[in-house]
Amino acid sequence: MQAFRDFWRRYRRKTSAVIGLVLLLFVFLVAFVGPWIVPGDPWDMATMPFLWPGTNAEFPLGSDTLGRDILTGIIHGSRVSLLIGFAATLAALGLGVTVGALAGYFRGWIDDVLMRITEIFQTVPTFLLAVVLVAIFKPSMTTIVLAISAVTWPSIARLVRAEFLSLREREFVQSCVVIGMGETRIIFRQILPNCLPPIIVMSSVMVASAILTESGLSFLGLGDPNLMSWGTMIGIGRDAMRTAWYMSALPGVAILITVLALNLVGEGLNDALNPRLKNH
Amino acid sequence: MTRFSLRISALALAASLALSGQAIAQGTPVRGGTLSMILNPEPPVLVTGVNSASPVAAVSPRMFEGLATYTPDFKMVPVLATSWDQSADGKTITFKLRPNVKWHDGKPFTSADVQFSFMDILKKVHSRGTATYLHLIAVETPDPLTAIFKLDEPSPYIMRALAGVESPIMPKHIYEGSDPLKNPANVKPIGTGPFKFKEWERGNYIMLERNPDYWDAGKPYLDAIIFRIIPDGSARAVALESGAVQYGTQYVVPLNDVARLAKLPNLNVTTAGYEYNTSVNYLEFNLRRPYLQDRRVRQAIAHTINTDFLVKNVWFGFATKATSPVTDKQKDFHTANVPQYPYDLKKAEQLLDEAGYKKGADGIRFKVTIDWSPSGEMFKQTAELLRQGLQRVGIQAEIRNSDSPTYLRRVWTDNDFDINIYSASNIADPVIGIQRFYWSKSIQKGVTYSNGSGYNNPEMDKILESAQIENDPAKRRKLYEDTQRLVMTDLPNMGLVYIQWFTIHDKKVKNLNTTGLGPMESFADVYIEK
Repeated sequence: MQAFRDFWRRYRRKTSAVIGLVLLLFVFLVAFVGPWIVPGDPWDMATMPFLWPGTNAEFPLGSDTLGRDILTGIIHGSRVSLLIGFAATLAALGLGVTVGALAGYFRGWIDDVLMRITEIFQTVPTFLLAVVLVAIFKPSMTTIVLAISAVTWPSIARLVRAEFLSLREREFVQSCVVIGMGETRIIFRQILPNCLPPIIVMSSVMVASAILTESGLSFLGLGDPNLMSWGTMIGIGRDAMRTAWYMSALPGVAILITVLALNLVGEGLNDALNPRLKNH
Repeated sequence: MTRFSLRISALALAASLALSGQAIAQGTPVRGGTLSMILNPEPPVLVTGVNSASPVAAVSPRMFEGLATYTPDFKMVPVLATSWDQSADGKTITFKLRPNVKWHDGKPFTSADVQFSFMDILKKVHSRGTATYLHLIAVETPDPLTAIFKLDEPSPYIMRALAGVESPIMPKHIYEGSDPLKNPANVKPIGTGPFKFKEWERGNYIMLERNPDYWDAGKPYLDAIIFRIIPDGSARAVALESGAVQYGTQYVVPLNDVARLAKLPNLNVTTAGYEYNTSVNYLEFNLRRPYLQDRRVRQAIAHTINTDFLVKNVWFGFATKATSPVTDKQKDFHTANVPQYPYDLKKAEQLLDEAGYKKGADGIRFKVTIDWSPSGEMFKQTAELLRQGLQRVGIQAEIRNSDSPTYLRRVWTDNDFDINIYSASNIADPVIGIQRFYWSKSIQKGVTYSNGSGYNNPEMDKILESAQIENDPAKRRKLYEDTQRLVMTDLPNMGLVYIQWFTIHDKKVKNLNTTGLGPMESFADVYIEK
């Protein structure tokens, strides 16, 4: 509890970090509670198409090219976008942490092999690779999550490897070796917890970039055609950009708020968790 | 401007365009210039003889010519044939061919090429040609400039199928002895047309250059044609607006944007040039699927589609509600006196209950997939509308997006689909445009836009086959009325809307619609005003 209080004290020093957290909590609230408050299928053609925001109280944010309510879309879309963001980050973490930990702990040829593989992924532009993967495996929620995680794990692997390389030389690790602790235990119980802070910071930014990537894919028509995400909504509005810009702009604002919030929170976490800044 | 008045003006625009659809040569042509055209989606090949899909048809006719072309009122105009003569019994047609025509590789064009094109390509691998030329048993070539068609039954519609886009004359020396579907010349064509293939940068552009040895001396007027592949509708609108491209056809810009573009000083929007190519937006059922084998299920699905909504909000007035599978523009054949399936969800539920597909505990009767032709956003929107309609009656539908080659393979090669939304041209005669969807012999794997539903009804075959050899117009009409009635009863597919395509072009581009083929003409006459 004391540790948490310390953490919170350091976190709240930065106003932007607190704003970010408030925004993020708001987005989560919308995603969890929203669909109950605004029920209904976001794909339903509920009203006349091309209804401008503010012209009909029943549909405050207007309707899209086929008369689907934009407010319902944004609220239901928050679930899809957040789900994809977090799922993709989790999957990338799983792979990246494993690869990074193995490479950093064992070094030698294991490190060489794993790092060469990582480099192959890093040399290909990430968004292009995601586009290719989704195009090959047919757009669906699962393939999108897998594609995003397949292009984001290398940075996690690099980070974890660097942490492991430095931590494994520390005295507390060496003492574990001396008392005969198993390697699995050293990796997971001793070293990994100590490199969590940078991983957490990085994850929050990764969620943001995963949401952006999904939006980009949907915008290109590579989203899951059966899920209403914010990217899907922008993609729908794209055709009417010149006549009804609000169709793309409103979900765009939702993405902006979420990504901004995640970045601010990430920055705040970085400051709060960074040991070198602890006593300032 | 409110949405409502915009829609009204779009309708008014469509109506006024239809009225101004004249085809007259304009001004004095000048040589030079490059015409940039929009192409979307990217075609898999460039030869309509082996693939009749619309993006292929957008490129192929500049390089491949037919024996003739047609005026907007279907009068024949000589192209590779200079004259023709039909025997009184309709079983012999003699074509005199144009002398001094060369293929793009310098080889002379002869009657052997005509014989090969009809007997070995069009009759065998063309989605419509198999039906059109069913009764063509031989092409005799007494000399290099005479081709005599021998028919075992009169086939009056052949004289309407000779345009370059529909029945291109292809080089025998390139295709002989090979599988025409896999010939490398399909992506690097050799034709006789006014433009020669230069290069194709995938995903970017296709470039054709002027054929200096074209038989019509002095033509073509243009130095080159560049087909720019622009997959995004808004980007296409911007490209036209800025003058980066000067010509686009069919679904070139989002339909909600047409009214705005039509007002720009440099652009012209016209519905002329689509007399030959009248398209219908169809919904097709895969009859190989257990659920869809039941006619009542197909009828129920038909009842879930609000076609008025489609016309108004998806097509923005550039379409009318379909009442049968034959477009109402074909006045010689169309009838609306057939079973109709108005938007009626109660009726749909009742039919599904009767068919024995009760709702489960989760409210779902069964699941289907919807594939849509990636040649226009309208088909995707139609798919989305259909999905919502189906959901209301307890059928869970999943939409699948795919690129053009995947889509074509999925539907017409692998038959791996449930419901397919696409558009197809009715061309000039039901034998050419309609028969392919319902004739059991048109169930041909790998032939795009053939009988993809797998519909096989001996009664239908009998009607179609007797219509094919019927010379009396009144009897033919009666037979095609029966066809439409049977289609609307069995519902292997159904027309959703009759499409009115349009062309958007720079006002400086002239002579675009000198014939009834418009965008599918050779463009030998097209010029750009200086």
